[in-house]
Amino acid sequence: MTLFQDTGGDPRAARARLADVLSWYGAVSDAAMGNQPGTAVRKASLAVALAEVAQVAQNERTALYFAGFLHATGAIGSAAYRKGEPLTDRNARMAVWDVPARGARFCASVTSLPVETIDFVRWQSECWDGTGFPDQLRWYGIPQSAQLLALADFFVRADDPEEALNAIGLQSGRAFGPDHARTFTIWFHHNAGEVTEVAMPLEALADTTPPHALLDAMADAIDHHNGVNGRWRRIAAIADGAARALELDDESRAQLALACRLFGAGEIGKDIGEDEQFDPLARLGIDVRAANAAAAAEFAQPHATLASAAPIVAMRSEWFDGTGKPKGLRGKAILPAASILAATIAYARLDRGERLEDAAGTQFDPKVVRAVMETAKAHA
Amino acid sequence: MIELHERTRRISPSRLHEILMEYECTSVVDPFMGLPTHLNYLKRHGIAVHGGDLLEWFVRVGEGLVVNDMTYLRDNEVAEIVEMLPGRIYSLDMFKAWEGVFFSEEQCVYLGVWHDNVRNLRSDQQTGLAILGLWRAFCYWLQKTQSPDEMQDIPPSELAWTYIRQTEQWVTPNMRRNTVRHGDVLATMGAQSGDALFLAPPARNSFRSADARIWMWEAWWQGNPYFTIEHAYRDSLLGARAADTPSYARAIASILSTAENYPVVVMQTTEQRMPELEPILRNARPNVRIIAPHPYEIYLVATK
Repeated sequence: MTLFQDTGGDPRAARARLADVLSWYGAVSDAAMGNQPGTAVRKASLAVALAEVAQVAQNERTALYFAGFLHATGAIGSAAYRKGEPLTDRNARMAVWDVPARGARFCASVTSLPVETIDFVRWQSECWDGTGFPDQLRWYGIPQSAQLLALADFFVRADDPEEALNAIGLQSGRAFGPDHARTFTIWFHHNAGEVTEVAMPLEALADTTPPHALLDAMADAIDHHNGVNGRWRRIAAIADGAARALELDDESRAQLALACRLFGAGEIGKDIGEDEQFDPLARLGIDVRAANAAAAAEFAQPHATLASAAPIVAMRSEWFDGTGKPKGLRGKAILPAASILAATIAYARLDRGERLEDAAGTQFDPKVVRAVMETAKAHA
Repeated sequence: MIELHERTRRISPSRLHEILMEYECTSVVDPFMGLPTHLNYLKRHGIAVHGGDLLEWFVRVGEGLVVNDMTYLRDNEVAEIVEMLPGRIYSLDMFKAWEGVFFSEEQCVYLGVWHDNVRNLRSDQQTGLAILGLWRAFCYWLQKTQSPDEMQDIPPSELAWTYIRQTEQWVTPNMRRNTVRHGDVLATMGAQSGDALFLAPPARNSFRSADARIWMWEAWWQGNPYFTIEHAYRDSLLGARAADTPSYARAIASILSTAENYPVVVMQTTEQRMPELEPILRNARPNVRIIAPHPYEIYLVATK
């Protein structure tokens, strides 16, 4: 079964699909780092605007956009942010230093991106005076565009634009090169500190990375981050078998397969995974599951390629008897794919799979429970 | 005004670490280490590192960043470095030769005070960290001579305080023995062995174009404002005479021949210098892989 519909050889459609997957991951990685939603877009847009002021070459500007968009991808799976035993402050700080290099490795794995993206992500946290990370590069050893990205990061994180301008002035010669700080000042005065969002330069993406393979790798990384290695793959295998048994059409199965890859993103910014907090059949966990489901759906919704799976992800916390959340949908009002996803997630978490039958008729549709159990037995 | 180079030697330790991991190297020797921040990175990631350099201040910093596992400078110790201490006699004229040329009178006085204070610290590790922090303050001053209106005026002691205090964060153990050595390339290679040899060989006669921020700090450490880098390098940078092209090639070949026991040799160079270095490396090792992420940052990875 194909995850995405055929684009009919239309390169624009293929690039738009890849862009959607990358945008989704950019937003998820921002959440992993604890950034405000939209940070990646603002950072990318500002970096490009600064590059225009600095008259950076067009190919570098394009790469800079992607670097801004994917600036936080290194946070996914980083020991500083992932779930697990908390690190000491010192170890956490050192783990944070490795985030840009991790991000660069991710960008290197996406061959569709302009090659300069890798280094801009790697060196986005370097300081002019050599006190940055990960490589402690200094002076002109840091690419100009990486410095512009650092300036953009500093500005979009600031609460007050005027204060940020002053702070950047104070950091001239320390975090930022004097020339780069001047570039920022010029941009600030021309634009009154207003960041105008820029569209992703789709034409710069090469069609060398299959979006489905990329999405699989991303879902793997998210599972690793959440401390549940390989979870989506186990769930996807059982869910697809159950969907076949229940005779879902191809489109619904494709949406379900997509949802299996996307639902884990909802837990990304949380300190504890829902598996760790509550038994999957416990009513106590409804609020947490609903919040995670809503967060995952929110990540998927803005992207045309992924939006079809958003309702499935959002409904996975509804109960068959209508006592679930967020909407309290009952019986057939819940999408079959969402019922399958919910039951499979619970099944994958249970030590004794038979317990799923206890929830048939209340939390899950009995037909779905039966299909999931039979598929799981067949897989075993 | 002093000229500050636009081109800076770029060693990306995170990239180097990725290469070393690919070849399963757990120890590395770098006989041209320069400022050993890259060795500090590798150390943090569990690799045993051994460095060497002819400039003494690089080695001193290595004592603080590479050899040092747990010593750092407390607030009161930093305070005793950055300011003149009552009761101590300082050679305030030591750097007067630089006054008006590169620095103000006040800055020259501070350079003399710092020079004396760092020599009175309790350990080599603390001295190394202090030298690094003070160097960054020194670089800030030189940068400010080029961009006077765009950089803030920071009192010397405050600037030095900030930078020295910051050095603590890079001190970390890796449960391995890590060393630095004051000596030329062959002395370092003779004293240590490892899974990989990392070479970023300086170009022929490169001391003539060395960055002022590097050689002036050696002059500061030596307490001799008339010191030039030629005093330190002479013909011994590569362990043998290397002033002309054939002898430079012979010197590099001799280093590679000495390195025959290393399973992996990683040579970092630039696109411009590739034609000169690649044939020498291929002559010494049968397998050479080129990793070229950037024209100014090319890795030649040679295996047996």
